[in-house]
Amino acid sequence: MGKKPLIKLEDVWKVYQLDSLKLPVLRGISLEINPGAFVTMMGPSGSGKSTLLHIIGCLDVPTKGRVFLEGQDIMELSEDDLAQIRGQRIGFVFQQFNLLHNLTAVENVMLPMIFQGVAENKRVEKAKKLLASMNLEERIFHRPSELSGGEQQRVAIARAQANDPEIIVADEPTGNLDSTTGEMIMEILIDLHKKEKKTIVVVTHDPNIAGYSEEIINIKDGQIITNHKTAEKVLWEKQ
Amino acid sequence: MGKAIKEYIKIAIRNVRTRRLRSWLTMLGVVIGIFLIMSLLSLSEGLKGAVMQQLRMMGKDIIMIMPGEITDIVSMMVGGLELTDDDIKAIKKAEGVDVVIPMTYKGIAMRCQGEKRTVLLCGIPLEESLDMLKTDMGFTLVEGRWPVPGKREIFVGYLVPEEIFSGMKTGTQITLKGKKFEVVGVLKSVGSKQDDSQVYVDLDIYREITGEREGANMAMAKVEPGYSTEEVVENIKESLDESRKRKRGEDLPSYTVISSEKMTDIVGNVMGLIQVAIFGFASIAIVVGGIGIMNTMYTSVHERTREIGIMKAVGAKNKTIILIFLIESGIFGLVGGLGGIILGLGLAKIVEIYCQAQNLFLLKASITPQLIIFGVFFSFLVGCLSGFFPARKAAKLKPVDALRYE
Ligand SMILES: Nc1ncnc2c1ncn2[C@@H]1O[C@H](COP(=O)(O)OP(=O)(O)OP(=O)(O)O)[C@@H](O)[C@H]1O
Ligand SMILES: [Mg+2]
Repeated sequence: MGKKPLIKLEDVWKVYQLDSLKLPVLRGISLEINPGAFVTMMGPSGSGKSTLLHIIGCLDVPTKGRVFLEGQDIMELSEDDLAQIRGQRIGFVFQQFNLLHNLTAVENVMLPMIFQGVAENKRVEKAKKLLASMNLEERIFHRPSELSGGEQQRVAIARAQANDPEIIVADEPTGNLDSTTGEMIMEILIDLHKKEKKTIVVVTHDPNIAGYSEEIINIKDGQIITNHKTAEKVLWEKQ
Repeated sequence: MGKAIKEYIKIAIRNVRTRRLRSWLTMLGVVIGIFLIMSLLSLSEGLKGAVMQQLRMMGKDIIMIMPGEITDIVSMMVGGLELTDDDIKAIKKAEGVDVVIPMTYKGIAMRCQGEKRTVLLCGIPLEESLDMLKTDMGFTLVEGRWPVPGKREIFVGYLVPEEIFSGMKTGTQITLKGKKFEVVGVLKSVGSKQDDSQVYVDLDIYREITGEREGANMAMAKVEPGYSTEEVVENIKESLDESRKRKRGEDLPSYTVISSEKMTDIVGNVMGLIQVAIFGFASIAIVVGGIGIMNTMYTSVHERTREIGIMKAVGAKNKTIILIFLIESGIFGLVGGLGGIILGLGLAKIVEIYCQAQNLFLLKASITPQLIIFGVFFSFLVGCLSGFFPARKAAKLKPVDALRYE
């Protein structure tokens, strides 16, 4: 150990106010994610996985508790600061792909770079390179409606890498795909972890990916019920 | 930031083009408003220019004396009120007055080559005032010569041979009240239909024809060199007051003494006010156009909620979102505005051409770079202002909520 955690959550609560009713979705979550980790989150539907992932990805802030990104308390940052962090340091992959419909594949991949003010020639070059690495060089001028689900998700993964973020968060990236395509997407994520040394946090129901993972967080009713680190996993599996 | 703007413009243009029909309809609202503003401003500016030019043709040292208050324009124009010979004498007596020209006019039947038409006959004392007419009123002949005082000779405005008696030229004989006269000169156009349609004779002859013994509809005085115009205006007023009090015991000054410069100012101000009023009314149309943009933008923000969430997730700041939507509404304003400018100035030009063809009035559409630049900026501003609240609404969306939105 001794390594400083990349992301650290301390007693994080997320409570939604529905009319007069208070709905606690996250109830006192604490966790640490080290640089270069591959973390899987599992749990039943409605347990708060997406909510937690959004907070880890600086897309949302907790109602209570503290979130640190490399020691920086994100609660102290403005909305625009968080946007800057998302743009530079975090890449998102969603279950519904979330590509912009009136942009082509290459334009979708360039979008995060536009917001960071990357020059046009560099942008095009990078986007094409990323799409090629996803085996999509034939598809760069296609719009999302002209792409299959697996292709769309690969465009989304290319987009997530646009600004070379250290962290990639993926919310059920295979949830809308058939199992073969889903496996391919998971291979890509594993590759990103192995070769590009990205820190990856993924929500999934897929047991295979959980097998690859160094750390599995099980969530139920907004609380972590088990958190297995790699070393412990061996013990746990032996039991 | 600067580099990114280009991209935001591209994104905005794409959004505008994605919803083509709606975009056209939105812009149409702006087109109508800007069209109204541009055509009306251009024409009223042109009208102002024409009137002012005519007034400026008068020398600066000319003073006009009219019966009636200047505020009572109707009775001044319709007449009934007159300056008497005593008044004219009083004006002449005033210190600093060089020449006084009494101006009289009356509608009268004129016969020429078998045709009979009613013309406005204008009597002026030729001997005293011809110099002043030439130097200060812009009277120039395009044909013939000036009449010799005492002879039965007349000269006519530019439009008389052109429109009223076609075929008339210098040397043509005409008949007024059974007496024969010869047309000896044709004036160059002075720019107003009324002035260009008049027939001019020596005052003595005018009185002979009309039977009027004395008086004038109005008078013009030229200031003697060395005197200031405003000073002489006061002198004339005093002199008129005195004379009237003495003669008739009247104490209400029912006449207006005004220098040509003041007159120009007043007319300029009145025209300016008219322009402001026109602008005000046309602005209502622009407000309607702006509301159209606002409506479209709110709809657009609503429809693109998820898109906004995605953009925020991949690093778009709030100000970026505002910018993208403002550019979009600005495009609506700008494109609509350009359409309105082209159509509005086009209409103004058509009116100008029509007026010239019909010889109605020397109305020029004023099409200046300033007017066009104003139109462009104004329409862009309307677009941006209308888009502001929708854009702010878009920027305020929480990324998570926007992403969840179906
Ligand atoms: N904006 C919101 N307002 C109110 N309740 C919300 C809101 N967002 C999420 N919730 C509730 O929070 C709970 C957790 O939602 P979340 O999406 O995190 O679950 P999840 O574990 O990702 O489920 P799934 O596996 O189905 O995606 C759900 O009960 C959901 O209804
Ligand atoms: Mg979820």
